[in-house]
Amino acid sequence: MPGEATSSCWSCGTMRAVHFCSSCGKVQPPVPVDYFTFFGFPRKLNLDTSALEKEFYALSRRLHPDVFGQADTRERSWSLEQSSMLNDAYRTLKDPIKRTEYLLRLEGVELEEQSKQATEKARATGELKKQVVPPDLLEEVFELNMHLEELRIQKKLGEDDPALLEEIGKAKLSLEEKYEALFNELKTEWNNWDKSVDNGTADGTNDDRRRILDKMLDVLNRRNYVRNLVRDVNEALEN
Amino acid sequence: MSYSDKVIDHYNNPRNVGSMDKKDADVGTGLVGAPECGDVMKLQIKVNPQTNIIEDAKFKTFGCGSAIASSSLATEWVKGKTVDQALEIKNTEIVKELALPPVKIHCSVLAEDAIRAAIGDWKKKQEATKPAAVQAAQ
Ligand code: FES
Repeated sequence: MPGEATSSCWSCGTMRAVHFCSSCGKVQPPVPVDYFTFFGFPRKLNLDTSALEKEFYALSRRLHPDVFGQADTRERSWSLEQSSMLNDAYRTLKDPIKRTEYLLRLEGVELEEQSKQATEKARATGELKKQVVPPDLLEEVFELNMHLEELRIQKKLGEDDPALLEEIGKAKLSLEEKYEALFNELKTEWNNWDKSVDNGTADGTNDDRRRILDKMLDVLNRRNYVRNLVRDVNEALEN
Repeated sequence: MSYSDKVIDHYNNPRNVGSMDKKDADVGTGLVGAPECGDVMKLQIKVNPQTNIIEDAKFKTFGCGSAIASSSLATEWVKGKTVDQALEIKNTEIVKELALPPVKIHCSVLAEDAIRAAIGDWKKKQEATKPAAVQAAQ
């Protein structure tokens, strides 16, 4: 019964999944709830990770398979399912990027779907598809990749070219700065999102929310490129 | 995940890797990226302005095997086609030819985007040079 699957707080209305019966303490069958509800957090992005961690350890202990060695088979299998959901939920919410991506998915923002649809539209209308990242970032990504390839070849041949190394080193610094700036940009959007959750009843919220979600997606997209580049630069410099 | 034989073949022997002069009036350049994974792909075409036939195509992709294979295949397919014919290439045809699994569909989308972007760039150049060509003819 869904009534038993989640309960909501009398004060703030936040939902949480019920893991155990409140009177006899038996494990309940897991219900398909989102990870925020699983832990009883509101669907906000600024999340108290120490509270999350505490909750995670407390639940892990209570759901641990060893506790259910003698239990009835149903309870045993439910505790297993609850634990695996617990682990997924924890891993997703603990990581700020995964948490953001998860929220976007929950709110129906499907990156790949959007991209495919945009391509189909371009095909049908003959208009050019707008690339989701700015062209100069793509240009930069491409150029740096070319340099990295050159570097790898030179290393293989045992040559080294100080000018190239310097160029790559400079690019690395600017990328790291960008990476950090993007995270700050993301946090600004977190705050906007959380505010809109708090004023859930205000008019025009839906448009506002959509805009915030799109903005977050945009930041994550750019961040993906930068993250890959930083990784590749480090790899190329080390080997 | 395992790659199909065709993907592996294109990956090991990519066709038409390279670049052309971006500034050449007959060359169209498409630079696109897949934000899901951060991969980038550059595809260039050289079009005969009399016939509108794509006479040469080159690509350079920094990305996964499927993206490399998709762009390699795309260059093979556009060569010899007119610009309008090339615009009809669909990512689903690439998926079919390379037997790409669902998680790799975006790699084929990237290749289709690259073809379109290259043609778009070429068209823009054509329009920009047209008045000059007309003047020159007079
Ligand atoms: S994994 Fe992104 S292009 Fe293939």
